[in-house]
Amino acid sequence: MWTFDAMMSEPSGWLDGSGPRSEVVLSTRVRLARNLANHAFPARASDDELVEVMEEILAAVSKNNYLTNALIIKMEDADPATKGVLVERHLVSTDFLRGVAGRAAVVGEREVVSAMVNEEDHLRLQCVRSGLTPQDAWRLAERIDCEMDRNLHYAFSSDWGFLTSCPTNVGTGMRVSVLAHLVGLAASERIEQILRSISKLGLSVRGFYGEGSAALGGFFQVSNQTTLGQSEEDIAYTVERVAGQLVELELEAREALAEKDGLRLADRVHRAYGILRNARLISSSEVMELVSSLRLGVAMGLVDGVTMATANRLLVLTQPGHLAYAHGGEPSAEERDSARADMIRRELTAGG
Amino acid sequence: MKCEACGRKPATYRYCEMVDGELVTLHLCEDCAREKGVAALAAPLVNILMGLLGGGSVGGREDEETGTVCPRCGLSFAEFRRKGRLGCGACYDSFRDDLKVLLRRIHGSTSHVGRVPRALSDGVEHERELRRLRAELRSAVQREEYERAAELRDLIREKERAGPPEGKHDVDVRRDDE
Repeated sequence: MWTFDAMMSEPSGWLDGSGPRSEVVLSTRVRLARNLANHAFPARASDDELVEVMEEILAAVSKNNYLTNALIIKMEDADPATKGVLVERHLVSTDFLRGVAGRAAVVGEREVVSAMVNEEDHLRLQCVRSGLTPQDAWRLAERIDCEMDRNLHYAFSSDWGFLTSCPTNVGTGMRVSVLAHLVGLAASERIEQILRSISKLGLSVRGFYGEGSAALGGFFQVSNQTTLGQSEEDIAYTVERVAGQLVELELEAREALAEKDGLRLADRVHRAYGILRNARLISSSEVMELVSSLRLGVAMGLVDGVTMATANRLLVLTQPGHLAYAHGGEPSAEERDSARADMIRRELTAGG
Repeated sequence: MKCEACGRKPATYRYCEMVDGELVTLHLCEDCAREKGVAALAAPLVNILMGLLGGGSVGGREDEETGTVCPRCGLSFAEFRRKGRLGCGACYDSFRDDLKVLLRRIHGSTSHVGRVPRALSDGVEHERELRRLRAELRSAVQREEYERAAELRDLIREKERAGPPEGKHDVDVRRDDE
């Protein structure tokens, strides 16, 4: 049975490190922005209208074969810890938490499929897969969207495609984001130049937690910037190709690190592992940096007994919302750093 | 071929004009062409055709204080400029011309080529076909291939009259792999 407790008892499916190129790429997510034709966009709709929109969309969700067991979490009922968890698992945006009326999160099994109702657009549908899989993620999103389409009347124009609140999303309404661990490149001088050339290709690069978040630990999100004038397949293909090249460059950079000073690399990895296994107080940003080094070591076969899945899940489970949820309330700063260190030690001894 | 205006000199200009919705072709000699100002007309002609083919745009109501206002949700273009968010689907029609410029700047394109909702797919396919034919007509005119242009014009008319095919919406969404 897929419940909120079931969701909390296991990490998000996309963290399992099973997908293609998962030594570098954590996940690929495809997001589709959709609006209903007969309602004002959320920012301009009254609370009553927002609730109406939510009911229409949730009715369509309940008829969707891909979302039969999905959890429905209405924001008016969600406590702060739940909200924190949803953000940290990339199931909702931080903007989504700014309002409650008519806002609901939909979470499918293992968090592969999810949706935000009444964020900036009436419906934001999301599919997330492990590894570099833009084409697969798009095909899944398409099937789910086709089913939604049977029961919802989308705002659409034959010239401009799916109509969205912000003109930067109009057309396909599709954003493909690849979350990549570019720790080797981040250590080299080439990173600046590479990120610049990516933006020239019409793609954007951001940190782990989206717009404005720093690229701590060398985790970057690469996504398409434009949504109009290209088919979904072409957008997915472009992101796949560019991210694929980034993977190659990252692997080269890792090799170069190993060749140039293998001892220093091994020292960095094992120091990180040592601190993570033994610390009693540890901050969130410190974890990002240490887990980044550990993950690099796992990917390069330098560490025994730790899987990629464990390294990945540490990134999410150690976030403040998850710790608050486990703590059953808002812990003090020191309690949190202590709970975080405990959690990491447990994960590294149990999961391996 | 002799010039169709003076009937004496050989025709070296082929001149096309839309008269009452009909494409009229005239073969003129150089002198008659200059006299009629056709050489100068060549460029504007393309513009006229483009205008005729572009279709009308739906304008919003004018508001003295704020400029164009979307009649459906009441959002003014000035407010959109401030917030960067549109109010409803109808805003895209209300602010069509301004948005077109903006969309070109953002996306480098102003036409959707991706997926279409099921219920609209036949109609949109029809629209896309027409759009493609109109573009072909424009380039035929620019290349001065007037016979091809006339053929295309007839084809466009015929398709416009016939409208999109109907029915076929009951295709089941397959749930294969996954």
